[in-house]
Amino acid sequence: MALRHIVTNRRGTAFTLISVAIAVAIIIMSLGLTESVSSQIIENTVNKNPHILIGPKESESYINMYRSLSDQVGSYPGVLAVSPRLVGQGAARFQDNVQSVEFVGVDPALEDRLMSVQESTISGNFSDLRFNNRGAFLGVELARNLNIREGGDFYLYLKNDSLRLKMIGILQKDTVKDETLVYLSLSTAQELVAEGDVVSEIGVKLADYTRAPAMAKKLNDASRYKATSWQDFSREIARFVGNQGVTNILFYMFILLISAFVIANTTIMVVSKRRREIGILMAMGAKRRSILMIFLLENMLISLPAGILGAVLGYAAAWAITLLPLNVTSAAAGEGIVIAARPEYFVIALAFALSLNFVSGLYPAYSAARLDPVEAIGSE
Amino acid sequence: MNNRDDDIIVLKDLSKIYGNGVEVRALDGVSVKIKAGEFVAIVGPSGSGKSTLLNMIGLLDTPSSGHIFLKGIDVSRASPDERARLRNQELGFVFQYHHLIPEFTAVENVMMPMLIANKSKTEAHKRGEELLRAVGLGDRLHSRPNQLSGGQNQRVAVARALANNPSIVIGDELTGNLDTKSSELIYNLLRELNQKINQTFILVTHDMTLAEKTDRILRIVDGKIVCEMRRKDDGFVASDLCVMGEDDGKVVQISREN
Repeated sequence: MALRHIVTNRRGTAFTLISVAIAVAIIIMSLGLTESVSSQIIENTVNKNPHILIGPKESESYINMYRSLSDQVGSYPGVLAVSPRLVGQGAARFQDNVQSVEFVGVDPALEDRLMSVQESTISGNFSDLRFNNRGAFLGVELARNLNIREGGDFYLYLKNDSLRLKMIGILQKDTVKDETLVYLSLSTAQELVAEGDVVSEIGVKLADYTRAPAMAKKLNDASRYKATSWQDFSREIARFVGNQGVTNILFYMFILLISAFVIANTTIMVVSKRRREIGILMAMGAKRRSILMIFLLENMLISLPAGILGAVLGYAAAWAITLLPLNVTSAAAGEGIVIAARPEYFVIALAFALSLNFVSGLYPAYSAARLDPVEAIGSE
Repeated sequence: MNNRDDDIIVLKDLSKIYGNGVEVRALDGVSVKIKAGEFVAIVGPSGSGKSTLLNMIGLLDTPSSGHIFLKGIDVSRASPDERARLRNQELGFVFQYHHLIPEFTAVENVMMPMLIANKSKTEAHKRGEELLRAVGLGDRLHSRPNQLSGGQNQRVAVARALANNPSIVIGDELTGNLDTKSSELIYNLLRELNQKINQTFILVTHDMTLAEKTDRILRIVDGKIVCEMRRKDDGFVASDLCVMGEDDGKVVQISREN
């Protein structure tokens, strides 16, 4: 009986449907956007950097025993990649252009696993560094500032020493490093630094970046090498990522509250519009429970398509926003945002639409069931 | 004509008081007995309590004091669910405005009380068709209320009231929104049903011309029944109660106007 009544009922349905859909759309949209922004930030700042950096012992400037240390760290559970690096500050000169640079000597295979370098190359094959010990990869801005083309030779200076290198590739990391970064093979860097077979740091990547502080502490306890987690060297970002969760929840609470009122309001309107109908149903012998069920069921039936519609609208809106030329995520995100369209969100949105509708439809439905039939019929 | 002699509904000393603080005595010690198959009109000025009385009989409202016996059972203190069941099974309602559910067709509206009573859809549909034919709407089964005239809708409402074979059909100003011609048609229909299937009708009206088509007229003023008239041959005989108006307590002949 309740079902029959709902299926044929068209009045007020559209309005409720739209308001629920909008509420769901807003949530889906913001969920998708904030999630993608924060994952983008994590992607750019956390996953494109080592989660942990192991530096030399306190009294030393370089790590001598880096091979055994790397093997040791690499065997810890949860460690995805380990890359020993020799980092130094120097200058690069191409023709008359001089730029200060940060050179990083690496084993390309290890470094690629740590930093996904190949993904950020604009040109060149990063693994070529392995065989070409006079080759170098330059940050895109640095290459531009030097006005150097691929295949061009440049000089890398460290104090009074210099090396003649060939640019075999360009990197774009969308960070400030693009202006200073020079990648070269570890042996070449060692040659320039002239301190023997040493590195200045070991980068470590973990399966779960949130575990970096704990892992750093473990490393510090186990050895005299100084390990620092990304949370330590980029505090601002760590705090931002941490705060995201809290702000999001607050944000959703407000949307939830507003949508609940909208739904309750429309249901109340529908109830008041249908007072006489409720009265006549009661006069015909419909029990209060049936009236309650009719309205609750009706709400539920509306919320299902509304949830789906809302989810679709939400994705569409989020997608449209990403197309806008807004620099929402600043330099950190760079290449615009991708909407995180996880299937969980869809399920969450539907569950949300259903429960929101149920809760906010409860009071109006209850009040409909409590209507005095005499009064309800009398309201002309 | 009456195959059952027993009273179908008995009101005993029924009172209804509204409001807290300023009390309004809508009904004041009303006692009345109505037999199965009777065709009764309740008349009176507005605010006299006639609708309240009808709502009591229809088990839509509960009395402040006194008793209602439906088929000999005291239902004045029945639970809301029990009263809902009784309304569904024993009572049919026709209101001033037809109160059909606009989303449903004529036959679906008539089926509604039967579906509430958990009857099967096919059974309900069959009876719905029968009833609509009986009220002369056999060709408008699938019309919606907005496609029917006021009089037609009211006939659908009458068919709906009859759906579950109720003991009593009550009507509150059921022709209030209709023109004289449609009103006559409705009353003639009720008269016919009353005679054909011995259906008990209790109607509230302020229109004496229509009231005179019934068999028994109860006049109510200030919550009290002040006059009762029964049909006798072509006229009405007033009871001893009739102490006011031109009746003046005497047996009167109310002439019929054309």
